[in-house]
Amino acid sequence: MEAGHAAATTKRASGRQRRRRGLVAWVFMIPLVIVNVLVILGPSVATIYYSFTEWSGLGPAEFVGLENYREILSDGDFYLAMWHNVLWTAIFLTVPISMGLLGAFLLSQITRFQLFFRIVYFIPYVVASVVNAALWQNILDPDRGIGSALASVGIPFLDGVSFFGSERLALPSVAFVNNWAWWGFVVLLFLTALQSVDTQLYDAAKVDGAGRWQQFVNVTIPGIRPTLVFVVLLTIINSLLVFDYVYIITRGGPAGASEVVGTLMYKEAFERFEAGYAAAMGLGLSFVSGLIVLGFIFLRRRGWEI
Amino acid sequence: MGNRRITRRQFIQRSGAAALGASFAGTLLAGCGGGSEGGSGQVAYWSNLEGSGPQDYFGKNIETPFEKSNKGTQLKVTFQPPDEMDRLLRTALQGGEGPDIVMTPGPAYAQEYIDANLFAELDDYAGQYGWDDKLLGWALDLGRVGGSLSAIPYQLQTMLLYYNKSLFGEMGMKPPKNRDELEAMAEELSGQGITPFAAGIGDDPAAVEWFPTVFWNHYSGPDALYQALTGETKFADPIFVEAIELFKSYVDNGWFGGSQERFFSNGFDTLHADFGDGKAAMNVEGSWFMASAVDFFGQAAGNENDWDWTPLPPLREGVPPELYELGIGSTLSVNQSAQNPEGAAAFVDYLVADKARVTEWMAAVPSAFNAPLPFQEGDFPSSMDPRVERQLVSLSQATSEGNFGYTNWSFFPAKSTVYIQEEMQKVLTSDITAAEYCSGLDEVFKEDRKEGLVPKIIKPGSA
Repeated sequence: MEAGHAAATTKRASGRQRRRRGLVAWVFMIPLVIVNVLVILGPSVATIYYSFTEWSGLGPAEFVGLENYREILSDGDFYLAMWHNVLWTAIFLTVPISMGLLGAFLLSQITRFQLFFRIVYFIPYVVASVVNAALWQNILDPDRGIGSALASVGIPFLDGVSFFGSERLALPSVAFVNNWAWWGFVVLLFLTALQSVDTQLYDAAKVDGAGRWQQFVNVTIPGIRPTLVFVVLLTIINSLLVFDYVYIITRGGPAGASEVVGTLMYKEAFERFEAGYAAAMGLGLSFVSGLIVLGFIFLRRRGWEI
Repeated sequence: MGNRRITRRQFIQRSGAAALGASFAGTLLAGCGGGSEGGSGQVAYWSNLEGSGPQDYFGKNIETPFEKSNKGTQLKVTFQPPDEMDRLLRTALQGGEGPDIVMTPGPAYAQEYIDANLFAELDDYAGQYGWDDKLLGWALDLGRVGGSLSAIPYQLQTMLLYYNKSLFGEMGMKPPKNRDELEAMAEELSGQGITPFAAGIGDDPAAVEWFPTVFWNHYSGPDALYQALTGETKFADPIFVEAIELFKSYVDNGWFGGSQERFFSNGFDTLHADFGDGKAAMNVEGSWFMASAVDFFGQAAGNENDWDWTPLPPLREGVPPELYELGIGSTLSVNQSAQNPEGAAAFVDYLVADKARVTEWMAAVPSAFNAPLPFQEGDFPSSMDPRVERQLVSLSQATSEGNFGYTNWSFFPAKSTVYIQEEMQKVLTSDITAAEYCSGLDEVFKEDRKEGLVPKIIKPGSA
């Protein structure tokens, strides 16, 4: 009896403790939940609602059902902007990630000046995008920039090239400027991951006769896979949401040649006063991002080591 | 609109020294601020003035004297970045907040706020302060929607042909009086390695709208524009298509900015520097450029050149030789939820409607306070640049004689304006033809017109 009573008492005490721990957890979480509801959930629900309305951004909104979504499906400007987002994603999945891997690998090979280079690589990332953009607009100015400086010393191939004024060059040129600010951050992420790879694995690979490239492919890449996947996912989402550099440098021009969905949405909402339509575009973009994240989750559950 | 704001902003920043130097005139003005019957309490005003000079001038010569002459009303001025102003206003007003006096980028934008019932009606104040007698009628009409006044026009503008006077002198050239002269000069200048027109939209692609404005007014003519704006004819008509084709041909020739690509990428500083240095001979720009011209000509700019302006020449037979597009760069309204609407209206009157005060401010900080008032020779203080004075008087006289045209940003609704800005670039890159561009505008404009968004269109004298 006593043993049973003691067990029941212990069980009750344990239940009380669990409830108390749960309560404490909720007390700590409630402020965050409130902030989340106000800052994220509320606006998200409002965006979903406005995407079904004809709304100028001012005054009352008129419910129009799926009309905005139907319009998006036949909007050539949206498709073009989306295509530019895809190109942007392709550029950022290759150039900065390759440069980041190479930079991190090279930095991991040195000990002297490593901190100096880490700082140098990281500085553009923390400089305001408007400053970076202004800097490169001057450097790439067709009359007063690097092209004209090179021409004055007998290297004329960039002289007079209007990087941001050419339909062909505008998008890659803006991507170049954004990449300049971004890739240093990627280097640091990869460098941190590289430093956690067990050095004995490299020694074992060397004993097996692996060269530098084989070590990179068979030891380094598997060792930093979680970081690599994180960077890829971050790159895709950032590329879909890109706005600042495009807006600052070309505002989507010339003639829509560098328009991305972010800048198109901004124009719809704040220049054409089509805030409802812009909300539908935004949700369309979120839908695409969501699909990509779901794809990653699905592959992981199927056993892919990503 | 953004382009114009940037240009004005650059000017305003650079005219800071002039504003400070004019503090003596401001002190005099402080003593002559007429009292009014404003209410009591605080009046919040968001201004788009940039630069410490103009802002200091505003504080000393406008804010303080106004408060002295309107006991009980405290003016709370916040200087907002011009590029951000409209976005900040929309967010604030939608949330039931925002300043008591609301500045918008022009009548088309104001109409969106009026439709959303965010602005108070000002008809009683118009009667109280006699705005119908003081302000230019056409300008005041732009602020009327459904017969009710809700926006007061501010920052009068027009498009002009500026030329490098020194370069013209060296080359024995005179300002062109018609299309043949203009094109002959452009050919000659190009042949000598000089860009005929400094031009570029790199800092603000929306500035491309200046050119349809100019070509539709000076090629198609104000009568054709009046008929299309009032729905009698279509923007798809050949007269408008030909104007756009002519502009495109000039860009293709490299006459604007040097090449099509440079036209897209040249920023304002670059094109103005080229104009001042004589690398470019002319500049098609709004009256706001007069504010910043001083920075690109003369010793301060490292050259010995001088500038002047002339009306844009007719580009087709039958278009009036001296024609000025009418433009309003901003409007002032009273917030529907203002706590002290009387005080707000009193400040609008103080800022816009007193000719003696306004001309002093216009002389001290050119282009920032261009109120739409009927100016005449002798209205301005001796400190005013005679070229600026001549422009203001000419515009005022031309208006009264009916020799006026229409700027896109004042007479087209917002969606049509954005179409004009966005799609014009596609014409220049040959993604669409001029005919497709004009047909597209016709469709957008028809929609705007159906929704009642087109402001009152005043009839030109020649129509």
